[in-house]
Amino acid sequence: MIKKTLSLALSSILVFTLLTACGSETTSNSSSTNSNESNTATTNEPTPQTDNNETASDFDSDRIIGVFTREDGSGTRDAFVSITGVGDDMYGDAAVKTETNEIIASVEGNAFAISYVSLGSLNDRIKTVNIDGVAPSAATIKDGSYAIQRPFLVCVSDEKLNDELVKDFIDFILSAQGQAISAARWIDAVDNAPEYTPSGLTGTLKVGGSTSVDPLMQSLRTAYLDLNPGMEIEISGGGSGTGISEAASGVIDIGMSSRGLRDSEKEGLTDFVIALDGVAVIVNVANPVENLTMDIVKSIFTGEIVRWNQF
Amino acid sequence: MIQKKKEQIMQVIFQIAALASILAVALICLFLFAQGIPAIARIGLFDFLGGKLWRPTVAEPLFGILPMILGSIYITGGAIILGVPIGIFVAVFMARMCPKPIYRFLKPAINLMAGIPSVIYGFFGMMVLVPLIFELFGKRFDMMSGDSMLAASILLGIMILPTVISIAETNIRAVPQELYEGAIALGASHERAVFKVILPAAKSGVMAAIVLGVGRAIGETMAVKMVAGNQTMLRLPYEYFKGVRTLTTNIIVEMGYVERDSLHFGALIATGVVLFVFILIINLLFSIINQDKKSGGSK
Repeated sequence: MIKKTLSLALSSILVFTLLTACGSETTSNSSSTNSNESNTATTNEPTPQTDNNETASDFDSDRIIGVFTREDGSGTRDAFVSITGVGDDMYGDAAVKTETNEIIASVEGNAFAISYVSLGSLNDRIKTVNIDGVAPSAATIKDGSYAIQRPFLVCVSDEKLNDELVKDFIDFILSAQGQAISAARWIDAVDNAPEYTPSGLTGTLKVGGSTSVDPLMQSLRTAYLDLNPGMEIEISGGGSGTGISEAASGVIDIGMSSRGLRDSEKEGLTDFVIALDGVAVIVNVANPVENLTMDIVKSIFTGEIVRWNQF
Repeated sequence: MIQKKKEQIMQVIFQIAALASILAVALICLFLFAQGIPAIARIGLFDFLGGKLWRPTVAEPLFGILPMILGSIYITGGAIILGVPIGIFVAVFMARMCPKPIYRFLKPAINLMAGIPSVIYGFFGMMVLVPLIFELFGKRFDMMSGDSMLAASILLGIMILPTVISIAETNIRAVPQELYEGAIALGASHERAVFKVILPAAKSGVMAAIVLGVGRAIGETMAVKMVAGNQTMLRLPYEYFKGVRTLTTNIIVEMGYVERDSLHFGALIATGVVLFVFILIINLLFSIINQDKKSGGSK
């Protein structure tokens, strides 16, 4: 009898703890998604942090900078290291995180941390730093004053440029309808884009290249095929470099790239910027730093500057 | 007649089941070695195992996994130092000293501990352990963040507890009661009899528990990835407050973006081969210890 009641009590405790654990987890999850959503909506005008004046005075600037980076091969990291000039010299002691969410959680939990995330992932649990006095936003990225940005572009060889299927798809991407898709998660690249009228063409297009551009291309493809049911679009991956070289050699019709074309690659290719993406440098909300120059960002991420008071 | 047919059919079913598990192991081995060995051959065995730099995406890539091999050893070593004494004491307590009512809580609690998914341990480590370590030691040891070998070792020390405890407990219980009674009869106290007679008698079983604990620690991936920092730097044993990458996390960190069938991809599979060899050695040790135990018992 005692055994029975005991096991009953025990199992009810177990179930209770299980349920509460699940409950708190789901609520924290949903709240984080909520904040994410609200933030994508507000990223266009980042609110200046003015309420951390008291914590700022407590900030011990003699502490080591906690550098967090993404793993080798990540598109965000590629863009960040190539624009800031860090290149292959990423600080070896920098902690490597494989998800944007892990980066944000780490920066949130470490007062001396610094890292970088794509503009679409910003939220108010972390603080965004101005680069050379410019805050990252849709406006500053569009006019080019915020430097850490990358274009999403498609490139077409000169022979394919006159192909009416290729032309029509690119017309669609650069139209008001296409750019609305770009603006939904990234930043649209064309001002006053013209309306697109479905052509009713039939045929097959091969698109390939950057995996960072891939989600955008998938959305564009879906919308385009809705308007032109006779068309077929095949999308392959392989990375920006592959996309550019295969577009040049004619293996595919349209190459996707998440970086600008290098001078050596421009021969015989025409590129169209279809969207823009910014990479924001983030620190803990307790950090009084408001602005960093590009040189300092580079020095921090190459390990030349290791303490917050060294610049 | 029908009975016999039934027997035969069931026998075939059991044989298929047995074959399926062997086939799974064989296929995994085949996949690992077929993809990993050519990559090791291209990199060069000594450059691969002894190389101090892992830079897979630069123009002239370097694939040295020495930092990861050492990282795995450091973190596992730390976990053993922290987890094994606790585990053995708990096992002794449960087998020989625990009052019945407490045992009824303790046993299911430890079973539950074994059932918690590793990502939950990792989440706990990331949200509680890492900030705590940074708070306590960050300033004193100039830590960059709480992501460190220490955090990973503590977390793994907790994670191997259920394995160590349950196997050690079973083996301590298996020690013949006569040994204990003999010790008591000769005037030993209860504690003395347990620690000086029973525990030494269960030595090989306890060793087996430790070896399985090592196997659990060295193969753990998700939780380690979330707290270890994943730097590919070559660390020295005293750099316990810095982060490191293990063999397992090297695979999981870079698998997402690697180009298929490139040398980088092969190098990651080859990392898996090294890990596989580690686990093989551990299992071999385990069976050698078990063999000893059996021959010792039959004497």
